Amino acid sequence: MAVQPILKYPHPLLKKMAHPVAAALDTAIHTLVQDLLDTMQAGPGSVGVAAPQIGVGLRVCVVDVSNSRHGKDNNHGLLCMVNPEIISRSGKAVMREGCMSVPDYTGDVERATEITVRFLDSQSGQEREVAASGFEAVAIQHEMDHLDGLLFLDRVISVSTGLFRRKSYR
Amino acid sequence: MPHRELSHYAVSVVGADRPGIVAGVTEALYKLGCNIADSSCAMLAGEFAMILIVSHKKPFTKALLIEELKPVCERMAMTLSVRHLPLGEEDRKETPGEICQITVYGADQTGIVYRVTSTLAAHQINIMDLQTKLAGTEQEPVYIMLLEAVLPDGCSPEAVEPLLDGLKQELQVEISVRIVTPVEL
Repeated sequence: MAVQPILKYPHPLLKKMAHPVAAALDTAIHTLVQDLLDTMQAGPGSVGVAAPQIGVGLRVCVVDVSNSRHGKDNNHGLLCMVNPEIISRSGKAVMREGCMSVPDYTGDVERATEITVRFLDSQSGQEREVAASGFEAVAIQHEMDHLDGLLFLDRVISVSTGLFRRKSYR
Repeated sequence: MPHRELSHYAVSVVGADRPGIVAGVTEALYKLGCNIADSSCAMLAGEFAMILIVSHKKPFTKALLIEELKPVCERMAMTLSVRHLPLGEEDRKETPGEICQITVYGADQTGIVYRVTSTLAAHQINIMDLQTKLAGTEQEPVYIMLLEAVLPDGCSPEAVEPLLDGLKQELQVEISVRIVTPVEL
């Protein structure tokens, strides 16, 4: 139970697919979740941490946007997610994202505005489905990307090509 | 490497667009052992424009940099300008304020950029990025400006749009303001 150092790109683990957690939640998983929570709470303004960011290649992440400016009025509190899966997504919105694993850089990323995520809740030990929207949905998608070895850099869209349309399309 | 051990230069190269400009300029920089610390390159009308902040371990001179870049630029008929950066100018200062993206568009007329940016400057709103394009048709040209700016302390994003309301009426252009302050995830 401790704040863990956040791995920074180009650490290779950040670009690897994380492994699913076996069905039963053992002590090691509970310790991992506690580490993720401690690390998230220690990061200034952090609203989520994924296991690969602290050096563990497992599909576990925590998200809590309830104390953030963008998420305080629309959230499900603390989400401790094991083997999360997005089972539906809709809508699109662009937000400028930054990440503790990619310091000193931010980029515009397009993500779904409404998602339903299914996961094993490590707090209750039960499978759970959450319909998230707005900033909470963005945060969940960002943290879940870490489980697939994706950084926001893999999803950055260019503002200028978006605004200035081509004269011809092929 | 600590910044005091490096010399920094602002380099700009502009000329008629063609393949090989970036490769030609960066080959010369690479052979000199220069690093490109920051850069932005774009096609503006038929011109290709490169703006680079390059660094090199001391001792190094502006004369040496020009000596290597000049033949490359002359070969491609491009203008070259090089400026040595004094210590303290080589790094972007922290921008703690809210960041807004402001979009302005409307029937083309003289002074859109000046009128909007002077209003922003009068309120200490600092522009970080600005792009303009002339679009539409020859008969009905449309001017589009997209900029990003940092708000000073005490200026809320909601307060920016009203600042520009008068101009919107006077110039008959659309102006919208969107907050793009990054979210830390």
